[in-house]
Amino acid sequence: MIEFNRVSKRYADHDALRDISLTIGTGEMVFLTGHSGAGKTTFLRLLMLLERASMGTLRVDGRDTARIKGRNIGRYRGEFGIVFQDHQLLYDRSVLENVALPLEIAGFRPRDIQRRTRAALDKVGLLGREKANPAVLSGGEQQRVGIARAVVARPRFLIADEPTGNLDPQLSAEIMGLFEAFNRVGVTVIVASHDLALISRLRHRIVTLKTGRLLAGAGL
Amino acid sequence: MNRPAAGLGIAPRRTVVSWVHHHRQAASSSLLRALRVPVATGLTWLVVGIALALPASLLVILQNIEAVTSDMRSPARFSVLLESGTSLNSAQDILSRVESRVDVRDVTLIPKDQALARFAADTGLVGLLDSIPDNPLPHTLLVNPLASVESEGLSELAQGLKVVRGVDQVVFDTLWQARLAGVLQAGRRLVMGIGLLMMMGAVLILANTIRLAIDARRDEIVVIKLIGANNAYARRPFLYTGLWSGFGGGLLGAIMVGAFFIYLSEPVNQLLQLYNSDRRFTGLGIMGVLNMMFLGGTLGLLSAWHAATSQLRELEPR
Repeated sequence: MIEFNRVSKRYADHDALRDISLTIGTGEMVFLTGHSGAGKTTFLRLLMLLERASMGTLRVDGRDTARIKGRNIGRYRGEFGIVFQDHQLLYDRSVLENVALPLEIAGFRPRDIQRRTRAALDKVGLLGREKANPAVLSGGEQQRVGIARAVVARPRFLIADEPTGNLDPQLSAEIMGLFEAFNRVGVTVIVASHDLALISRLRHRIVTLKTGRLLAGAGL
Repeated sequence: MNRPAAGLGIAPRRTVVSWVHHHRQAASSSLLRALRVPVATGLTWLVVGIALALPASLLVILQNIEAVTSDMRSPARFSVLLESGTSLNSAQDILSRVESRVDVRDVTLIPKDQALARFAADTGLVGLLDSIPDNPLPHTLLVNPLASVESEGLSELAQGLKVVRGVDQVVFDTLWQARLAGVLQAGRRLVMGIGLLMMMGAVLILANTIRLAIDARRDEIVVIKLIGANNAYARRPFLYTGLWSGFGGGLLGAIMVGAFFIYLSEPVNQLLQLYNSDRRFTGLGIMGVLNMMFLGGTLGLLSAWHAATSQLRELEPR
């Protein structure tokens, strides 16, 4: 369970988030929406401990994230799978090597890495492309590699920041379908997106942010 | 809402096993990465090698000089030249007086006729010396102090010998050795100073190489940290890059020193033979090569540690 309790994030010149109180249940799928600058990315950055809250408390499965020390942050982030708008793939490695990264970091055996990486690629429909360089793949395929990498270590939380921002409507729907599939097996999914037309078709909670404040869909 | 996810599923290996695996992987991938760009890697190794080879060469030369001069060293001995008019009987009396000193082990008298004969034989000037009406050499006493007498005691003995009636001059034969020892000590310090400066240069070069490597892989570091790697994991490949650069530099430096000594050994050995020395010019040896590689590796590791730690501290995400 993720609990934001009166969380604010203040930068030198503006407030990115103001007094956010929100609970996301375990195994839930939530869309985070709002215009550019509404605070969606800051919300996710706080969750990934890329930033610390200026005020309030953020708890993940009962743990106060403010108490997580620097050397344990890596392990904490390992519980999350993260999907970026610009994929953030490593282009000097193959598709397989990109997807295998979280497992290598977590210290899995090579044979388990192979097996689980191929399974993750199978889930996103890229089995057979594991030796390819990501640079030769289409935008949609690269995003699938990113998703496979995000889920390969079976994270408890899947976070996506504008994952369909560069994709056409059909591919966007396919990507959202993948997120729903992972949510169905129990992964808590949080997707930041400003594509209201797409997310309103899906039957999940929508949390709207406007200039750092929560507008709707929240619930403590 | 769905059933909660179980997390990682099959558990990762035990911490120590996975730590060892990470190290093995970081070591091999760093080496392969370095070998994929042979020119850049070779240049880095060369710079480190030169920085290590120069002081190492000077040190080995100094060690060779010390070995050669140690053969020439003999216990301290005084030559006491008696006044020119001293008779042989008076010389015997002076010998007795000197021999009675507590700091003297033994004394040998070389009569002036014997000294002249030896000088004539050694120099081949027999004919010339025969033509001189008077023997210009004085009677000489060779005074060997006790082995326990050291520098201050030797000075006191010299002073004591100078004031003995009938003594004209006291020559301390080991003065040149003391001077040589002083020169060698100064040389050793000079080599250490140069070595320290060169090693600092090597450290700066290696640290800069690591900084550039981190800059070139900034995107990769950001990604792996976002997906759960800690600073130690991100730093590890760069530590091995530093280690390999240092090892490679040390090996190249040892090869340079070896080549230099092969080039130098023939004329130096000929020179030593001319001085009837059994010594031969010696290079680094296996231990020397290993020492250079170890030193290079240590410098590489320290440089990389410093550079990577400071760079990663500034890099987002922390």
